[in-house]
Amino acid sequence: MADNDTRAVMGRPEDYTVDGLLPHLALAEGPSRGAVRVFSGESQLQRYRRTFGGQLMAQALVAAGRTVEGSSSDRLVHSVHTTFLAGGDDARPVDLLVEPLADGRSFSVRRVRVEQDGALLATLQLSFQAASEGMEHADPMPDVPGPEGVPDVASALAGVPEPYAVVTLLHGPIELRHVEGNLYSGAPQPNPSQSVWLKAREALPDDPLVHAAYLLYASDYSILEPALRAHGIAWSDPRLRQASLDHAMWFHRAGRADEWVLHSLHSPSGSGGRGLGMGRMYAADGRLLASVAQEGMLRLKT
Amino acid sequence: MPALLPDRPEDAVAHLLELLDLREVGQAHVTVSGAPGEQETELGEWDTTVFVAPSQRQPHGRVFGGQVLAQSLVAAARTVEAIGGVERPVHSLHAYFVRPGDADHPIRFLVERSRDGGSFSVRRVQAVQYGKPILSMGVSFQAPADGLEHQDPMPPVPDPEDVPTLQEALGAELDERAAQFFAATARPIELRHVEGNVYLSPSKRQVARQSVWIRARAELPDDPVIHAAVLAYASDYPLLEPVLRRHGIAWGDRRLRPASLDHAMWFHRPVRADQWTLYQMSSPSAQGGRGLGVGRMYAADGTLVVSVAQEGMLRLKETDSLG
Repeated sequence: MADNDTRAVMGRPEDYTVDGLLPHLALAEGPSRGAVRVFSGESQLQRYRRTFGGQLMAQALVAAGRTVEGSSSDRLVHSVHTTFLAGGDDARPVDLLVEPLADGRSFSVRRVRVEQDGALLATLQLSFQAASEGMEHADPMPDVPGPEGVPDVASALAGVPEPYAVVTLLHGPIELRHVEGNLYSGAPQPNPSQSVWLKAREALPDDPLVHAAYLLYASDYSILEPALRAHGIAWSDPRLRQASLDHAMWFHRAGRADEWVLHSLHSPSGSGGRGLGMGRMYAADGRLLASVAQEGMLRLKT
Repeated sequence: MPALLPDRPEDAVAHLLELLDLREVGQAHVTVSGAPGEQETELGEWDTTVFVAPSQRQPHGRVFGGQVLAQSLVAAARTVEAIGGVERPVHSLHAYFVRPGDADHPIRFLVERSRDGGSFSVRRVQAVQYGKPILSMGVSFQAPADGLEHQDPMPPVPDPEDVPTLQEALGAELDERAAQFFAATARPIELRHVEGNVYLSPSKRQVARQSVWIRARAELPDDPVIHAAVLAYASDYPLLEPVLRRHGIAWGDRRLRPASLDHAMWFHRPVRADQWTLYQMSSPSAQGGRGLGVGRMYAADGTLVVSVAQEGMLRLKETDSLG
């Protein structure tokens, strides 16, 4: 499990600069092994010294997408299901082994094994679809203040003594603006719902796969927060033990990750040491871009 | 009015239980085969436990997705041992339907051990016919643990006893052909649609949500794996109906080309599939020939027991031409 030990002590100078995501999506391809195509990518250094689940998912999506592009460049990702199995070393690269499950008339399905030095960190299943038409509907965007009306993280975290929170949020690839206040700087008011505006810090190329990878990456930051918020618990709570168990994402419509996206989140249930988070991403103009779900292990050590 | 069910509805449940009683046929060493002429290497090989089971007969000859979900879940669970005397119940599954299945041909289930850790066991199952996967599923099991407890409350709906049965609801609509279809599929699950069903006629109100009371038509054995599997089976029946309801389409619409694409399910708390369970569903979005259904299952006492999500392909062919 991708254990996220919030007690990790800071030490490495490089921990204070989390670089952008694009270099990590520039995967190298090695020799294929039978039907399996093999890619590798560099890991992002993280304050807690484990690979970030969002990074593994974004890299796996790009790897799988590259095996679809060859046959039909117009097939876009529409769903990704991830199972997290073990935490990885954030100072070492990961291998992405892409196995073809099916190439049909409309859909291409892939499975990706994410490994590090032969150990399995995560498995993903992904599906891509040729453009098609059909019934159209979408739930409307909830009525929340626009991103300009929400305090940015720099002011929200001013005076927070733990530098890693600032590092992650100020220098990570994604800017996050919590409408109901963040869960880094103190215990929130109990509420199983929250909204977060998010946006890549840099302009991205016009490649739909890159935008999908960024949204997949960004979704992993806050998807479990409504389960914590339901109980008024902050990330910095020393009792908290948490790990991502799985992740599912459905891409409904093409969106840009370098423009503001509203991530509307809710936790329907917490039980048995686990919590479920469900999210929806809307473009600022109200278009529903994606639905997200993740179950996490959430325990309080007493 | 023609009858919808065989004389003994419990026979349909007994048959489902037979389908879930998988036969273990041994271990297999699986190799990912290369394209013709390519060299195979040691990578892409792993040991699996193999089970085999038949399918329910279907009028259209294709395997019902809920059946493969249920069987794959049972296959995975049969390879998860109690550790230190502590059982590990299922808490989640994620599946892709990658090819249509042949209902007249047995299915093999290849189970791969992905992880056996201190708290969690993870399996991958491939359901295979004719040498190719029809379904690929990841399943996770967890030793019981304590943690943060909360849940959304059950919405207020009429009790199941106050909702018409399918027979009552279809009533005069039910011609001989439709009756034969329902009898042939002899459902082991009773479904009572609170807002009316969408089998033969579309919904009058075009909204993207609905509630259905469900339960097995006969008592099930006290095996938690069977109860979870039967709910997985049942969950696949109506989950895309909010999409159809929203667009005023009935299952019987001859233009409709439906197919399940994926399925995710989270088991929050212990379940009993032979007790009335409220299945509340909605569809946040449909586009590009696909629709997403999300659902929750509540025990009759209001306990939230399951969350579920499925994307389906839902296209309307404007002509009757083949292909």
